[in-house]
Formats: sequence, structure tokens, C-alpha cells
Amino acid sequence: MNINTDLKKQNTYDAIVIGSGISGGWAAKELTEKGLKVLMLERGMNIEHIKDYDSAMKAPWEIPYAGKLTEEQKRTHPVQIRDHIYGQANENWWVNDLECPYTEDKRFDWYRGFHVGGKSLMWGRQSYRLSDHNFEDNARDGHGNDWPIRYKDIAPWYDYAEKFAGISGQNENWPLLPDGQFLPPMDMNCVEKSVKERIEKHYNKSRIMTIGRTANLTVPHLGRGSCQYRNLCSRGCPFGAYFSTQSSTLPAAMATKRLTVRPYSIVNHIIYDKETKKAKGVMVIDAETNESMEFYAKIVFVNGSTLGSTFVLLNSTSEAHPNGLGNSSGHLGHNLMDHHFRCGAEGSAEGFEDKYTYGRRANGIYIPRYQNFNGDKRDYLRGFGYQGGASRGNWHKEVAELDFGGDFKETLSRPADSWTMGLGAFGEMLPYYENKVYIDHSKKDKWGQPVLAIDCEYKENEAKMREDMMYDAAEMLEAAGIKNVKTYDNGCYPGMTIHEMGTARMGNDPKESVLNKWNQMHEVNNVFVTDGSCMPSTACQNPSLTYMALTARACDYAVKELKKKNI
Amino acid sequence: MERREALKKIAYLMGGAISATTMGVLFESFTIYDPEKNTYYYSANDEEILAEFSEIILPTTAKSPGAKAAGVGAFIPLIIKDCYPSNLQEVFKNGFVTMLNKCKTKFNKEFLSLNTEEKNQLIVELKQQAIDTNSEPSFFLLARDLTILGYFSSEIGCTVAREYLPIPGKYDGNVEYKPGQKAWAT
Repeated sequence: MNINTDLKKQNTYDAIVIGSGISGGWAAKELTEKGLKVLMLERGMNIEHIKDYDSAMKAPWEIPYAGKLTEEQKRTHPVQIRDHIYGQANENWWVNDLECPYTEDKRFDWYRGFHVGGKSLMWGRQSYRLSDHNFEDNARDGHGNDWPIRYKDIAPWYDYAEKFAGISGQNENWPLLPDGQFLPPMDMNCVEKSVKERIEKHYNKSRIMTIGRTANLTVPHLGRGSCQYRNLCSRGCPFGAYFSTQSSTLPAAMATKRLTVRPYSIVNHIIYDKETKKAKGVMVIDAETNESMEFYAKIVFVNGSTLGSTFVLLNSTSEAHPNGLGNSSGHLGHNLMDHHFRCGAEGSAEGFEDKYTYGRRANGIYIPRYQNFNGDKRDYLRGFGYQGGASRGNWHKEVAELDFGGDFKETLSRPADSWTMGLGAFGEMLPYYENKVYIDHSKKDKWGQPVLAIDCEYKENEAKMREDMMYDAAEMLEAAGIKNVKTYDNGCYPGMTIHEMGTARMGNDPKESVLNKWNQMHEVNNVFVTDGSCMPSTACQNPSLTYMALTARACDYAVKELKKKNI
Repeated sequence: MERREALKKIAYLMGGAISATTMGVLFESFTIYDPEKNTYYYSANDEEILAEFSEIILPTTAKSPGAKAAGVGAFIPLIIKDCYPSNLQEVFKNGFVTMLNKCKTKFNKEFLSLNTEEKNQLIVELKQQAIDTNSEPSFFLLARDLTILGYFSSEIGCTVAREYLPIPGKYDGNVEYKPGQKAWAT
């Protein structure tokens, strides 16, 4: 008996999936369903579906500090508090920045959730396909490298991902936003319907407004319950009504009995075998005991979120790969992108004082990109889409006027007289080689690992676009009869939209890219990367649905190649 | 382009107007962590005073109990101690002490002995000071904002003053609003 051999056998799987968020969950589901024995490694704690959604059923008065953050939470989460995402109701789902530091050569807001499910538990759920126009943009204007795929390559996988995840929405036949396999759409409210009608009429349907396409179920779907309109999604849904690893991909993978999930497992690097020129496994640090251990597999899927995955690859150095695994192109860690937002317009809708809402819809409206397309020409490249919506809020001008007393209290107990309608843009960011991350060995995290340094900024194209993001919104709202329209640009730093992408991009040319058209490393053919790091461009649509489709597609390819013994 | 210029102007003006309101004090969370520890302790008597203060801001009416019944007297010092940086804790504490002293000089009474008319008079004065100082953070602004926050996130505020639907089950964005109907609590 050789104990080492036994241990090695015990720690050997067909496939290892690094990360358990949106794309990691999909990889685990697809690979196990295709017969592989899979180990899914997650660096943080376990969160069990429903049982561990501690605040999901809490009433407002049961949330500590009425939802405000304490000074201690601000101390331990100096990055997470920069925007209004980190909140009291799910505060332990956001990373402790002191334990997991990084270096900001320029300000970059890195929002992270380290637990089983990753950001799939807290995501915004907006789910949009990219169009051929998006896949062609890099080649058309020469920024970044050409996408190695076109819409026809991914379309069946969008169908596949949507059918399983359950996306509600409305088909619109809009060239820049392909239709999909949707569950019934959520309703627009009375103000949104009026704004939609007037915008589409004013612009003669050269701009359209549709209900948000969201991974919230409008009808029961594959054993999951439908949305109850509580708008508390980010606490975890006790009805399983939005797509998350926990509600959707994890149960499917577990049902195969071929999945092992190991929480508290920080992947430090991928182990490269120079004889076979393949990855043979991963080195893991147990986050609780600090013990290091190895796991082995025939294929490795890297799904640790864009920058998490990029760290693992950059940290996987060997004689054959001195600058990081599969990085002879020098593009690993480069071309970092994010969307840019916090920019738009809002105003008040008059004439709806006799209307109100019932239920809290965790969704808004969407105006897909129309710029630099079909005769619309701008003085910058690419474009933006809008998310927004109308609501009848609670606050009154009396709050600002420092009123007090019985009448004041009664006023605050009723809704505002008028409705507000807002449009906030999400803009595309161009890929720039010099926007990059690299490993900073001068700093260590809680487990003694070096940290990532981030050097990324928006440039002139984004700045120019922001002008239009404000004024197009204002013009549309005015055309729709909205009053007191005011524009805003609250400023934006990379990282803020939590749509970071691009640091291990796909491409046909191994000299210009890290991954091929199957999300497979050009140089290490049993390693696949299918999270946001694979994206050659950002488009302006929310990207998670594309990660789902690309992951399912890559898993299909990987298993076929494995069976053909090509990897 | 003229329209764009006009919109820019409006944006500028609105920007100025918004920053002058107290909403900024309440909702622009103070994101700079301040390591200095607060040492001021709020006694049961202090909580009683703050409860009476909050009751003037949001009093019991025919329709719903006021801030005191909703527990705002204990809520305010809890938030001040745990959620505010030390410089604002200092502003709050100093303003609180100043208000108590003023009761003695102005009415020759302790705060808790003031009648409603006197308390109102006191708070009108504090409000005027806040307006005169262009809404700089002060005891009055913080205590008033926290009264509004505490009340409308309390069970009474959510379920009696407003109406709370734990599980709406559906969305209808075109329902009739009946005059006087309560706002939904969130």
C-alpha cells in the first residue's frame, strides 16, 4: 500500500471547476450531466439554498440598524462600501477587504462575494443576448481583437441557457438585441407604458423600449417557484424564483451524484505538467486551516470571476509558462474592461395621480442600443443601452424643507403625488491593452498569497459617450412628456458596474489572445476559461447570460474532445 | 445643440439645489471610516429625552402612533454610536447638550418637564438655526433624519402609518389610487 498513491487517487476527478458562481455552476451542471465526475472548488463558505438565506423573510423592522452600515463594517469593507451595493441585509455575502487586499494603481472598485454561489446570489439578473453587431464591432473599428465567434455560433447556446435558467422578457425583433426563449414578460406600469408609446412614436421606432429581460420566473419553471414581487432578491430567494447557482445549476449537478463541492478551498495555482503539456490539477489552500493540498483532473474549468481567474492563471507559473499559464501572447491580465454607468436623466410624470402600484417588481425597462447603427452616427465608437423605470415614491419636498409635526407625518405616510421616471445608461468600454492587472508580490492576503494590482481607466471614447448617455435620456424623457427633466453624471470608476471582463480574451490568433473559440487555452488544451475574462469586447448589454451560454458551449466541446481523446 | 446647452444649465442648477437638502445628510452614507472611538454614553434618561424629541417631529395622530411608541428614542443613540463617524457623533452630542442647556436658560426647566408648546417652540428655533447655517450637519438635522428613518422602518411605521405587504405575489402597475391611501412600506 502506498498512501500517497491512495491519496492521489482519492483526490482525482474527471474535471475540476474553479469557482461556483454563475459560470462555475453552469460548468458543474454541464460536465456532471455529461457523465464526468466533477470537483467544484469554492474559496468561501457554503450557503445552502433557502436554509441559509438568513434575512430573506425578514421585515424591514427586523433588519439591524434599519439597514445602515456600522462603522465597524465600514472599517472591514473599505472597498465594498464605495457604492450602495454592500448592505446590512446580506452583509456577510461581501468580501472582507482587509483579508483580501489588492493594489489600486488607479481606482478600481472590486466587488467580490466569496461563498458557494458567488455573485449569482446577489446579481442584478438582467439577461441580454449580444448581437452580430457586437461580435463584429472589434473587427469593424479595429479596437481589440476580432471575436472568434459570431452570433450563429452562440445562438443555440443562448436558447439552451435561457430555457434552463428561466428568463422572462418580450421578443422585439430588434437587430442589436436578439430575441430569445422567454417566459412571459413582466408588466410595465402605467407611466412606463405611456413613455414607451411616446418614445417609439417620436423616434418612429428607430428607438424602442421593452420590459427588462430578467432571470426572474414569471411562471413556475423546472420545479422552481415564480416571482412573488417582494424585490428582496439579493438576500436569496426562498421561492427559488431567480436564477442562482443554488436555485438552479447546483441542484441539477447534485442530482447526477457526480458532483463534489468543496467550500473554503482557495485555488492558489494550476499545476502544469511539462511532459504532457497539460494541466494536471490544482494546488489549493484550505481557507480555514491554511493547509495546502492538491487535486487532479483531466480537465480544468476556470470560473473564479474575471479577476479571480486571471489571478490564478497569472500565479500559475512554471518553466514552460514563466509569465503565467498560457500567456506567451502577453495578453493575460491585459485588456481589462468594465461597463460605465451612473449617468442619465430623470423627471416627473404628471397625470397619473390616480394610479398606484401593487407589488414590488424587481425589474425595470430597457432601451437597447441604437447609436452608431442604421444611420445613427456619433462622434465616438460603440454605444449604450438604458435601464430605468417609473415609480410612485414616498418622499416629499417637506423632508427637505425641515418640516415636522402631525401633518408632516401623515404626508410621509402617503405616496408622493407624482411619479418619477428615470433612464440610466450602461455604456460600452473599449478594450485597451494598457488597462491591466498583474501580481503584486509586495503585499500578501490573509493566507500569504500575493495580491492582484489593477491599473485601469476609462478614456476619451467613454467620456464622450457619457455626454450622450445624459442628453439622449433627457431628450427621450421630454419627448415622452416627462416634466422637470434633469440630467446627472455621478461619475464612474472601473469596477463599479461589476461587469469586469477581458483579461484572458478569446481569439483566433494565439499571438493576440489567450483562449480559442471554444474558451480553451491556446497553449494548454485541457484548461477552459468561461467567465467574464474571456470576453474580447463588452458590448453594452449585461453580460452574465453570455457567460452561461459560452460555458455550456465550452463544456459540450470539452467533453466531446475528451471522448475523442484529443485532450 | 441649443437644447443640450439648456439641459446642461438645468443639470447644474438642480445639482446645487439637491446638495443643500437634508436628504444628503440621511442618505449619502458617510463612507469614510474614522478610527476614533466614541466614548459618550447615552443614558436611559437621554433616550427618554430623544423619544420626546422624536415625538414632536412625528407625533401620535388619529391615524397612527408616533415616533416615541415606535421606539425611536433608543434607535437614535444606537445609530449615532454604531453607524456614525466620531466627528458627527461629536456634533450630535454637543448639539444635544446645548439643547438641554437651552431648556434651562430659556424656560428654566428640564427638557422632560417642558410642555408640548414649549418643546415645539424649542424645535422651531433649532429648525431656524439649521436653515440659517445652510443645513450643515447639526443635532437637529441628524436627530430629525434618524427619527424619520427609525419611524418608517419600525413595525408601527411600516404597518400602521404605511402598509406592508410581505409577499405581494403579483405586480400590477396600474391600480387605482384611492385618495388618502397609505404608501407601501419597503
